[in-house]
Amino acid sequence: MNHPSDSGKPQANHSPPVIEARGVFVTISGHSILKGVDLSIPGGQVVALIGPNGSGKTTLLRALLGLQSLDQGEIRLFGQPLDRKVLHRVAYVPQKLALESGFALSVREFLALASDRTRHWFWRRHAVLDDVLISAVQEVRVEELLNRPLAKLSGGQLQRVMVAFALLRQPDILLLDEPMAGVDAPGEDTFYGLIGDLQRSRGLTVVLVSHDLSMVYRHATIVYALNGVICCEGRPEEVMNAESLRRAYGIHVSPYQHHHQPHGHLHPHAH
Amino acid sequence: MLTEPHMQRAFLTALCMGPLCALMGVFVTARRMAFFSDTISHGALAGVALGFWMGFADPTVPMIAFSLLVAGILVWLQENTELLSDTILAVVLSGSVALGIVILSSLKGYRGEIQSYLFGDILAIGWGDLKLALVLLLVVSLGLFVNLSRLTLVTAHPELAHSCGVPVRLLNYLFVVALTLVVTLSIRLLGIILVTSLLVIPPAASRSLSRNLRQQICYSVILGLVSSVGGVVGSYHFDAPCGPMIVLVCLGMFIGAFLIGRFKERIPS
Repeated sequence: MNHPSDSGKPQANHSPPVIEARGVFVTISGHSILKGVDLSIPGGQVVALIGPNGSGKTTLLRALLGLQSLDQGEIRLFGQPLDRKVLHRVAYVPQKLALESGFALSVREFLALASDRTRHWFWRRHAVLDDVLISAVQEVRVEELLNRPLAKLSGGQLQRVMVAFALLRQPDILLLDEPMAGVDAPGEDTFYGLIGDLQRSRGLTVVLVSHDLSMVYRHATIVYALNGVICCEGRPEEVMNAESLRRAYGIHVSPYQHHHQPHGHLHPHAH
Repeated sequence: MLTEPHMQRAFLTALCMGPLCALMGVFVTARRMAFFSDTISHGALAGVALGFWMGFADPTVPMIAFSLLVAGILVWLQENTELLSDTILAVVLSGSVALGIVILSSLKGYRGEIQSYLFGDILAIGWGDLKLALVLLLVVSLGLFVNLSRLTLVTAHPELAHSCGVPVRLLNYLFVVALTLVVTLSIRLLGIILVTSLLVIPPAASRSLSRNLRQQICYSVILGLVSSVGGVVGSYHFDAPCGPMIVLVCLGMFIGAFLIGRFKERIPS
């Protein structure tokens, strides 16, 4: 397994920011969740948001999607405020679907909802839809799933379909919320490998929320540790050491760093 | 049978409302809105009672108005309080039924017309009801097919739909208004108590036969059509209330579809 720092990707400080948040405060049901988040994410990275439960990872992701209103602060994508036009360049892979099995939506029909070319799926022949869908997302290999009901896929299959759906929208930014909840470890590694390949081949900026620190360590190029504010940020080998993880999680957390001993300095956030 | 004007009206109304209820029902069941529909239909009882109390000979207008008010209250409570959805529905349902019964019992000279609203009555369907049913069929089914992809995406995952630029909230409001009108205008045919059956049973039966949403929609519309027309015919022949007859035909098809679905599962394709 290659370490991400060996992959020769652009470093954080050399590319213009694709995602910027400044002084973001969010309160939900009277609880202060984000307490002044600042971040600046350059393009072409695989960015991981880590932190304990309730640290605001998913809230921050929702804010980046325009799904969460801000009490204070600003979020910009590609230097633009969040509006319909700029959000068109962002695709979202949600954690799960709470779909009723009584709804017979097939994978083919679901994927057809993502693309303007297949919007009229109800009136089109399956072969016509398949040509468009399969050629657009060859890397994800969804062919054998197209006839399956969406509500009856396994966790790993569903995540592949959700990624295919996101890619059909031809995004520049891919946001994934806990993409591997309920998927076994080998499946998880394969999935993150796929995300890394897609990031490189399509030049995407990927932001993912994850609890699995070993996967983050292996696959992310930038890590933000969040606990209401950004506690620390940097390359995985810089951020994922006992001291900074303790700062984010408040307890001792093993980063599962295997052979690699981190030496990098931390970048404590201003807040 | 079809030489009699009241049967012609009932038959044509069934032709409109059966498929329409079944079409909407595919999304109602997937969005877990069956109890919501039930609350709307029971809210109509208070509308009917208010209509009689206010002196309307035909309480269709107050019935629709009150159902829309009930739908508005439900949506407002769901969006602005932290009450459980089931709690909201149960409170509003029982409250509107209680209000309706108290008003009806206070009416002097009340002759029990309410039974036709509770169980459906083909004799009560007027030309005005038929015209409304026809307009509703055209407008709602056109709106639904134009927005089919958006509605399907909202049904699958509202936040994903939002991230794709779908105006989720507007679409939800339009769906609730359409559902309220469809439920309320189906009451003449099916009755307040049984109207939800035509929203729930055809989609559930068609699910057993379908491998995808397109099939489920098509089969559901066909089953809705056969049930409503079959129920009207049965009601005429057996001199039974229309609503229960439609439900019995629906139920028969549900059992048939369930058995066929099970049989197909056992045969490897």
